[in-house]
Amino acid sequence: MSTPLTTMSGEIKEAGVSDGVGQSQSHATDPSVWVDTHGDYLYRYSLMRVRDTAVAEDLVQETLLAALQSRHAYAGRSAERTWLTGILKHKLVDHFRKASRLTYSSQPEGEEFEHDELFRSEGQWKDHFDPTRAPVEWCAGPAELAEQGEFWEVFGKCLSPLPARVGSAFTLREMEGMSSEEVCEVLGITVNNLWVMLHRARMHLRRCLELNWFAAKGVRR
Amino acid sequence: MTGLYKKATHALRYLLLRRLPTCRQTVSVISQSLERSLTLRERVMTKLHLWVCIWCVRYLEQLQLMRGALRARGSKLPDEDAAADASLSAEARERMKRALSQRSH
Repeated sequence: MSTPLTTMSGEIKEAGVSDGVGQSQSHATDPSVWVDTHGDYLYRYSLMRVRDTAVAEDLVQETLLAALQSRHAYAGRSAERTWLTGILKHKLVDHFRKASRLTYSSQPEGEEFEHDELFRSEGQWKDHFDPTRAPVEWCAGPAELAEQGEFWEVFGKCLSPLPARVGSAFTLREMEGMSSEEVCEVLGITVNNLWVMLHRARMHLRRCLELNWFAAKGVRR
Repeated sequence: MTGLYKKATHALRYLLLRRLPTCRQTVSVISQSLERSLTLRERVMTKLHLWVCIWCVRYLEQLQLMRGALRARGSKLPDEDAAADASLSAEARERMKRALSQRSH
């Protein structure tokens, strides 16, 4: 994952040698250039995960301030940018943790995103897909989608109406690839609630993407 | 012959779908299959349902595609991501620089 950077100035610090407060070669570069060197990178990383520009900016600032405090502990073992991204990842998890605690309900929210209208409401095929709204074939591959900026814009719009905790659960599980257990710990929810929330998020996202992305790209019924 | 075969498979599909869990139940189990290992009963019921229901097959493929695309995007670093061209505003930049210089003195 870590890639060597040309501007890397960190060198391995000798064990047991403390070099006091002064700016030293063995530490991260001068904090005053962090904003210009890494600011946009960290901001994009953050924005891909929180989708709110103000929150993304705050997280970058918190990251840089935390980095400032701990820069004497940074031994230059990894590239400066990798080190800063590591701090940002912790800030992101903290953000999701705090945001989830603001929702006092112990019940999973977002029931309206189960899209009842996709299923027949009566008759012998009740609760089976309604043929006029049933899933259509999407002709796309994951790598190809990952590259398409417009797709992610549509994706962001589909994700935004979901309740915050449902969206967070989905992002942490599917984008960060955290395990179910880790997501439950961060969000403070039971595993059963997580499953319900993920089901709602998936139900809604796939329907929204089908209508707003794949339908326009030509699909087969 | 093919007409008879079609009729027979149609009847079989019909009989199976009448007895198996509904699409609504099946898509919920499909979602859970991405989270935990299914029980034997769930596996058999879902397999049979998928055997006769192209819609639920597509549903499963679509969840897998969403997961694959999100993981691919999540593991991408921002500087190689064509989709992320956002940058910090001038105000945010100034604010951060001020905060950093205040704290470092």
